[in-house]
Order: sequence, then structure tokens, then C-alpha cells
Amino acid sequence: MSPSRWTLRHHRLQAILAVASIGTAVALPVVLLSVGGGVSQHELSQLESSGYQLSVSAAGVHGISGAHALVSQIESLPNVAAASPVLSVPVDVFLPTGAVTPALAEGVIPGAFLATQGPTTAGLFPHPLPLGDPSDLAHFANGTYAGPAALDVLVASPFALDFGLGVGSTLMLGATTNRSAATPFTLTGEFGVPASTLGPAAVFAIVLPLSDLQQMTGFARAGGADGTLLDQADTVEVALVGPAATDVAAITAVQGEVQRLAPFYGVSALTDQANELRASIGVLNGFYLALSSVSLTIGLLFLGLVLVRRVEADRRTIGIRRALGLPAAQIALGLARDGLVLAAAGGVAGVAGGIAVVVGLARLGSGTAATAAGLAIFDPVTLGLLYAGVLFLSLGASAVAARAALRLSIPEALR
Amino acid sequence: MSPVPEVALREVSRSFFVGRPEEVRALRGVSLRLPPGDIVSVEGPSGCGKTTLLNLLGLLDVPTQGEVLWDDRSVAARSERERARLRLTGVGFIFQRFYLLPTMTARENVELPMRALGRPAAERRARADHLLDEVGLSHRRDAFPHELSGGEEQRVAVARALANAPGLLLADEPTGELDRANTDQILDLLLRVRAESGATLLLVTHNPRVAARASRHLTMEDGRIVGDGPGA
Ligand SMILES: Nc1ncnc2c1ncn2[C@@H]1O[C@H](COP(=O)(O)OP(=O)(O)OP(=O)(O)O)[C@@H](O)[C@H]1O
Ligand SMILES: [Mg+2]
Repeated sequence: MSPSRWTLRHHRLQAILAVASIGTAVALPVVLLSVGGGVSQHELSQLESSGYQLSVSAAGVHGISGAHALVSQIESLPNVAAASPVLSVPVDVFLPTGAVTPALAEGVIPGAFLATQGPTTAGLFPHPLPLGDPSDLAHFANGTYAGPAALDVLVASPFALDFGLGVGSTLMLGATTNRSAATPFTLTGEFGVPASTLGPAAVFAIVLPLSDLQQMTGFARAGGADGTLLDQADTVEVALVGPAATDVAAITAVQGEVQRLAPFYGVSALTDQANELRASIGVLNGFYLALSSVSLTIGLLFLGLVLVRRVEADRRTIGIRRALGLPAAQIALGLARDGLVLAAAGGVAGVAGGIAVVVGLARLGSGTAATAAGLAIFDPVTLGLLYAGVLFLSLGASAVAARAALRLSIPEALR
Repeated sequence: MSPVPEVALREVSRSFFVGRPEEVRALRGVSLRLPPGDIVSVEGPSGCGKTTLLNLLGLLDVPTQGEVLWDDRSVAARSERERARLRLTGVGFIFQRFYLLPTMTARENVELPMRALGRPAAERRARADHLLDEVGLSHRRDAFPHELSGGEEQRVAVARALANAPGLLLADEPTGELDRANTDQILDLLLRVRAESGATLLLVTHNPRVAARASRHLTMEDGRIVGDGPGA
């Protein structure tokens, strides 16, 4: 008895097409919003769970010089738990088999490094880092590098697996491809590689004492003879003591003091970065919605066409209702109900389809796309708003159809 | 029971496809006055404009020229919304091609105009059943139009036209599909309803038995009324 039931049954193909077009239109924003939101959220939580709150870095290509001195100054500030300099340099690894492979070397102070890592990263490393002198000062010896070098190195476990390395293996490391200029290091441990949105990035990473890497790569202090002040690092990460670590005022205070110690370098707080990231998430979501509005517009246009087409097909029935004098509002309501039913079905199909695409990609896909899909968040509020928006907009499509229905001349419609 | 209007046409013409080579002039300057309570038969060859005349009288259509008057008020002055309201409450149309809604049962078709007026479910159901009984279809009230014979559909259409007790009954060949016994039954019903309500009744018919029951006879030809006289 409901005209809606009848028309939906008798125009099955049109109904399927309308549902499919709206479904496709809705699936796109579902995928974009859930994956985009998930990736951003993941980055945000990584930022928020990182083990350090401040980071010092030099602008441009210059590194931070006088790293050891700066670190001990920072560490003597109140509320600072640890300061960890990191120097990253690509080096060549000469393997026992005679092969050569490039690797990214990270020079660190063994005793400070883990204190500035978040729990996830820290868990990937052996505790304490088996890299000789924890303070890295014995070899550094006030910038003379006259003390005994540790010559210990940690390698990423995929790297070790690939080349059949184990604890005790000897690796020759050099800044150039010249094997005779390389330095022998002993492999004293392995570390795991974190899953990252961009795939396992640290597969070919190695970690060694800062002073050893500085000396090997020419970033050591040049004995003061020519007045250069290398002792270089790329960044210094600063971890605050427990309660201060989550106290924005304390972080800002320490940030100011570190900045005073290192006036030429940038000192940034992770809370700022998190805020920037949050702002950019908002911009991205807006962008995703704008992009999706194109597909939604097309889906709703299609719905409008289907409904207008239905008015054409049902002109006789509509003509009869109008001839009997049924109020126009009843006829318009019938169409609005048809439109809502189709939009609701399309919306469900789109949300389910979008979720299915993301889940399928996460399970069956590979590489970056699969990793990103794995981080997707299906926020019920966002999806609910999207769904409600589609229902609301379908009323516009129904209004177009209702207008067509009420403009039919009755004698024409009845012929 | 809705008030019985005095309906009139003043120099009414209705053309289709105006200004095109295939232009059809279905009515040409027709003037007519239907005093309340008249029983009028309309005869004329196929295509002479009978249905067009009924559409104009019943406010389904508007003239190309001239005026349709309800109680001396031009229908053109009313909005489509008002005209729809008048159709619902004041006009009972028995269409030449019945025009039952295919998705509704006989009873639902008869209930439809009452439902649109917001009549309580029990009341409209009782009235629909009563009307279906009057046209001899109480045993078919749950059937859909496609399950009914032509004559049965026509009788449902009669019942539906009477649902809101209209003041103007427009019947376009209401017995065209019926045998002699049913023709008499439907005619009796229409005339009894008219007698009770004082409604105006206009019957398009080719059947002399039907025409014989009218008190006034119109004859049409080629879009004009060529004969208007009292019953034989
Ligand atoms: N909506 C329309 N569009 C175009 N032409 C129409 C339309 N309605 C009626 N006509 C034409 O107007 C003329 C009169 O039609 P109408 O239906 O009034 O005739 P009628 O007297 O009812 O005929 P019948 O006895 O066959 O039912 C016919 O030529 C018909 O083709
Ligand atoms: Mg006709």
C-alpha cells in the first residue's frame, strides 16, 4: 500500500544504480577521513609518547658544535633528566664477506640515548646500550679524542639477518669507499625496527658512540689547533624529569633556559609540534571533505536524476493522486521518503564499503598503503555526521523531483 | 456532505499543442450553466471533447480561453492548492479509464480520498466497506485492481468517487464496462446518492438507458455543445 514500497520494488535497477552511486560517493570520504585521521593520530600519539620534550637543532646545513659541552650544561639545568645528542651520517660498511653496503650511522651518548626515547623505541634496544663508556667522555677526553675508543656498534636486526651477522662479528666502517681507511668495530648487539607509516625505515641503521662516529667521519673537534669547534651533532633531544615532562609551564621554562645556553640554535618543544600537527589535521580533514563533496555532489545529482526519472515513470499514478485532490505535500513527502530510503541505503553501503576497502587493504595490501590502512580510525561521530549530511542533502534531490511532479499538467499525466 | 456548487462555463475553449501544426481545439467557446442538483447526460461522437469538458468542470484542467466559474467565482482566481482542496472535498470523478491506484486494494482505493482529509481509520474503513457493498463488491474489497475485471474496477471507481460525499459528480461513461443488471444497479446508486445529497450529476454516456434517467441532455460535436434540452 505504500507507494514507496511499490516504486522501490518496480524500479529495482534504478534503485540499485542510485544506491551504488551514493555508496561510491560516500565510500571515498570514509576512506579518506578514516585513513587520513588514523595516520595523523598515529603521528600525534608518537609525538606525545616520545621520550623527550625539547629538541635543539641547527638551522641549515650546519650541525650543532660543541655537543658534549652543551649536553653537560643542559643536563645540569633543573628539571632536566637527560640530554642526548644525535649525529646521523651515512657510512659504508665493509662486511666480513668482503661486500660493501651503505648504512645510516647514528652517533649517540650511550647513557643518555635511551632516556630520551619513548617506551616503544626504547623497548627495541638492549638495556643498557652495550657501547662501552656510557658517558662517551673517556674517548672524547675533552675534545682530544686521545682516550680509548669503544669501537662497539649495534646494528638493526634485519640488517644483521640479511648479512649473517651476530654479536662478536667484526665490521669495518668508513666514511669513504676506501676499505684501507676504514675502522674495525665489534658488533655488540642488535635492535629492532619499529613499524612506521612509511615502511620500516631503519632497516639499514647502525648505532655507535658519538665520539667514535665523529672521529671516523671528520665531525670531531680538530684538537683546537685551527680553532674549529666541531664536536658535532645534528640534534640534541632533552628529556625532563617525570612531573615536569607533562607540565607545559615547566617545559616552556626549560625551553627558555636551553635557548639561553644555545642562542644560535633552534629549541622547539614537542607540544608546539603536536599543536601544529593538530592544526594540520584540521586542515587535512577540511581538504578531504572538500574533495569528497565533489563525489557527493555527483552521487546526489544522480539520485536527483533517478527520482525525476521515477516521477516520469510514475506520472500516471502521480496524476491520479493529484486529480483526486490529494495535497501536494503528500506527494512531495512520498518522494522525499523515496529519496531518503535510497540515500540511507546508499549511505550504509558507502560506509560499509569504505570500511571494507580500508580493512581489506590493511589485511591484503602491501607496503605503505597497507600500513596506512592499518592505522585507520573509524570515528563514529565523523561517520555519523557524514551519514546525516548525505540524508539531509538527499532532501534537495527529492525537492527537485517533487517540483517536477507538481508541475505536471494533470490531463497530460493522465493520458 | 459538501455544499453543492453552481458550476458554469463562460465561452470556454481548450486547445492542445497551441501554436503548433498539430494543434487540437478540443473545446470551442462552450458556455454552460449547471444549476445545483441537475442530472445531465452528455452525448457525442468520440473525440468531440466530452472528457475535456468534464476535466474543466472538475478543476483538473484550466481553459485556454474563457472562464470556469464555481458559485460565480472564477476558478482561475484560485491557487492550485485551493483547486486541489475543492477536487478532494467537492468533486467526485468517475474516470473513463477508472484510474485506480495499482498498488492499493479496492478498499484502500476507496479510503484514499477520506484518508487525505484525515478521517479516522475506523470511520473511513466502515464507509469504504459500505460503499463497496453498495456497488456489489464487498467480497472483492481486498483485491488489487489487476485482479479485478473491467466492470469491477469501474464499480470501485464509482465507490471512490462517492467517498467524500461530493457536491458535484462527474461520471465519464460510468457504465461503459457493465452489463445491463450492473448498469441499472450503478445508476440506481448514483441517482439515490443524488436524491439524498442534492448533488449535481453529469453523466457522459452512449447508452440510451442511462441517458433516459437524466433530466437534461447535452449533445456535443466537434468541441461545441450543439444540443441542450430536457429529458426525452
Ligand atoms: N492532453 C491532451 N493532449 C492532446 N490532445 C488532447 C488531450 N486531451 C484530449 N485531446 C484531444 O482533444 C480532443 C477531445 O478529446 P476528449 O478526450 O475530450 O474526447 P472525448 O469526447 O472524451 O472522446 P471519447 O468519447 O473517445 O472519450 C481529441 O481530439 C483528443 O485527441
Ligand atoms: Mg472521453
